[in-house]
Amino acid sequence: MFHGDGTLRPAAQQLGTAFNNATSELLMQLHDGVRRQFLHEGITFTVIGKKEVTEQIIPIDCVPRVLTDSEWDHIDQGLRQRLHALNLFLKDIYHEGWSLRDGIVPHELVLGCPQYRMEMLDTKVPHDTYVSVCGTDIVRTHDGFSVLEDNLRVPSGVSYMLACRAAIKQAMPRLYRAHNVREVLPYPGQLYSQLASLATWTQRPRIAVLTPGRYSSAYYEHAFLAGEMGAELVEGRDMVVHNGLVYMRTVSGLKRVDVIYRRVNDEFLDPVTFRSDSLLGVPGLFHAYRMGNVIIANAPGTGVADDKALYAYVPKLIRYFLSEEPILSNVETYLCRTTEGLTYTLENLDRLVVKEVGGSGGYGMLVGPHASAKEKRDFSKRLRSDPANFISQPTLALSRAPCFVGGKIVPRHVDVRPFVLRGRKETWVAPGGLCRVALRQGSLVVNSSQGGGCKDLWIINENERSA
Amino acid sequence: MLARAAGDFYWMGRYFERAEHSARLLDHHLARLVDRPVDVLAHGWRILYAALGQPPPISPTETGNAEAFLVPDAFALAAHLIEDTENRDSIIQSWAKARENAKQLRPWLPVRVWTCLNDGFLWLRNCNFTEYWGQGPNRLPAGVVDRLRHLSGVIETRMSRDHAWRFFELGRFVERLQLQTALLQAWSCPSSKKSQTWAGLLHVCAAYEAYCRTYSMMIQSEQALAFLIANPEIPYSLSFSTRSVQFLLAGIDPAGGRHPRRAPHRHALRLAAAIETNLQASVDDADTQDFLEDFAEGCRTLHNLIIEEYIHYSLEQGLPS
Repeated sequence: MFHGDGTLRPAAQQLGTAFNNATSELLMQLHDGVRRQFLHEGITFTVIGKKEVTEQIIPIDCVPRVLTDSEWDHIDQGLRQRLHALNLFLKDIYHEGWSLRDGIVPHELVLGCPQYRMEMLDTKVPHDTYVSVCGTDIVRTHDGFSVLEDNLRVPSGVSYMLACRAAIKQAMPRLYRAHNVREVLPYPGQLYSQLASLATWTQRPRIAVLTPGRYSSAYYEHAFLAGEMGAELVEGRDMVVHNGLVYMRTVSGLKRVDVIYRRVNDEFLDPVTFRSDSLLGVPGLFHAYRMGNVIIANAPGTGVADDKALYAYVPKLIRYFLSEEPILSNVETYLCRTTEGLTYTLENLDRLVVKEVGGSGGYGMLVGPHASAKEKRDFSKRLRSDPANFISQPTLALSRAPCFVGGKIVPRHVDVRPFVLRGRKETWVAPGGLCRVALRQGSLVVNSSQGGGCKDLWIINENERSA
Repeated sequence: MLARAAGDFYWMGRYFERAEHSARLLDHHLARLVDRPVDVLAHGWRILYAALGQPPPISPTETGNAEAFLVPDAFALAAHLIEDTENRDSIIQSWAKARENAKQLRPWLPVRVWTCLNDGFLWLRNCNFTEYWGQGPNRLPAGVVDRLRHLSGVIETRMSRDHAWRFFELGRFVERLQLQTALLQAWSCPSSKKSQTWAGLLHVCAAYEAYCRTYSMMIQSEQALAFLIANPEIPYSLSFSTRSVQFLLAGIDPAGGRHPRRAPHRHALRLAAAIETNLQASVDDADTQDFLEDFAEGCRTLHNLIIEEYIHYSLEQGLPS
């Protein structure tokens, strides 16, 4: 919303002025109204503690973040390019493996990745769409927008993006209307069309959202998306495989399922093929998938491409597969699996953020500048004992956005997770994203499980607003 | 419709009805605290617990018949039935379970139904029971009944008459059949007849005015009992609930209620026939108790048949022909 010097950016002039002029009572009213809507609609995530399972509403901030449409168009192009390259890479590693043979990515990084699925070798993936839904975390620094990580397995958060938008629209209808904000609400319709386009054997495919169940932290989202798409919300126990076809149990008998939008990790999808102790999956599902009788989105094995170590190679992959320069840059990344990377990381632990390559949710990471001496000592030991499991990145000067915290407007660090959909032919980027905010002062961790919240992101026309 | 979702709707309906039934009984009973003798009230608690199929946590007035112990007993018992989370059949627990089911049904539930259910639960969870009690012992259960009727109205106006609605209503009416049968059993057992007024039962079942119009305000126990069993126009009569179950099962049955009917539908027809037969037979206390006992067993069988037929059927049974 603000330039580096603290002046309002032209696109955010009207919004900034409105918030500047608002009394603290009005802001509190706005904040409570938005929060109450989340509470009443049960927009929650589940926190699984050691002793009990609790349900919390996701903290929402009532001050929207603003980006101009020219900034967004740049991100949009970058995301399309990135997803295209990653889909080609996934096809390549599960078939010919040219990128490995040509030394673009080290063999051991791919074949040694826990998310690499041998079972997917030579499996024909319909229309080569390995990744149908992608959520890419983007941060803004002094150098512009950069990709922090790709989420290609079961990216979550889109329901909060939509819920934020609905709540903000209701809370500040005039401001919203005055800004001609790009609309994100078509997302469920787009998701349905993109998934349906993959099942070419039927005009009206039956789509099911596969959830681990109500104890999943993202259960609200699974239910929300199924409801919005008019799809069935199924658990593994609701489906059976018979003669290579997948059926779900309905009150009128078994009905065939054509597309499964799975929100269950690979290893739990099918106890026959993957983890035999999984109770979340469907026995024989992978067999039906290999026979081409069902679409699974995202395809099993896509996690290899969002591994944090492989992330460092994405710019090279874009150049290799598309012969283009990456539109969105990466954050500088040091691979601790290499001697130089490990040495550099250990010597500069004070300045770096160290992450586990397969970690997520803000867990298993060390933020050097905020860590105690003991934490750093402990982390050094872990690094030395298993260096291949870690990467490090410089601590970024993340952009900050105004947030309403503790009764006043204060700056907090933010990132954004836009969602990209890919069907048979088309790619669609939602014009907005889940804007995550680190609500604790000085914190760089935006994950909801670690004290983060969310806010609405407005993509608006800069020229129109300043005119 | 997904079988598990149908099961969740069915159970949601059952819990919803259970909460409403308990609140209605409590509303009636607590309103009587004002002017009834202690022994009548103590006996009333026993009947109430028997009707709900629960053992009372304390034996009312065990501490003596002194007036001073009446209110603390009533307070503890009402709290046990309303807000005790350890009591799996308390109103708050029934509502929480209905909400848990509803959470799994978000894709099928209209948003307004969910928010109404959720708001009601949050209201009850955050209620200060002692404060409500101070305003009047039956204030809270009366509030619960109002909230649940409001929710019922929202469901009535917002839900399309599809399988989701049918299974929800089916759950409600199967639960109502069981609870009403248990209530009539508890009320009509010989030891209860002396202390319970039949007008009270008719009030609890929203049938007092209808009874007075049909017969007179001089209420006769046998007549009242037959009225609550066999009158098809009283929403809480066994006949009304049985007919509703038949109607709902006809909508769920692929054959649309024609021959060959599914097992639960055939069983519901048998229950309806049993009511007709009982009506024609001469009624005395022992006969009625036997009938209600058999009917209660029939309701349990109906529940099992619904679960086996529509929700937990075998793979062979469900494969497309």
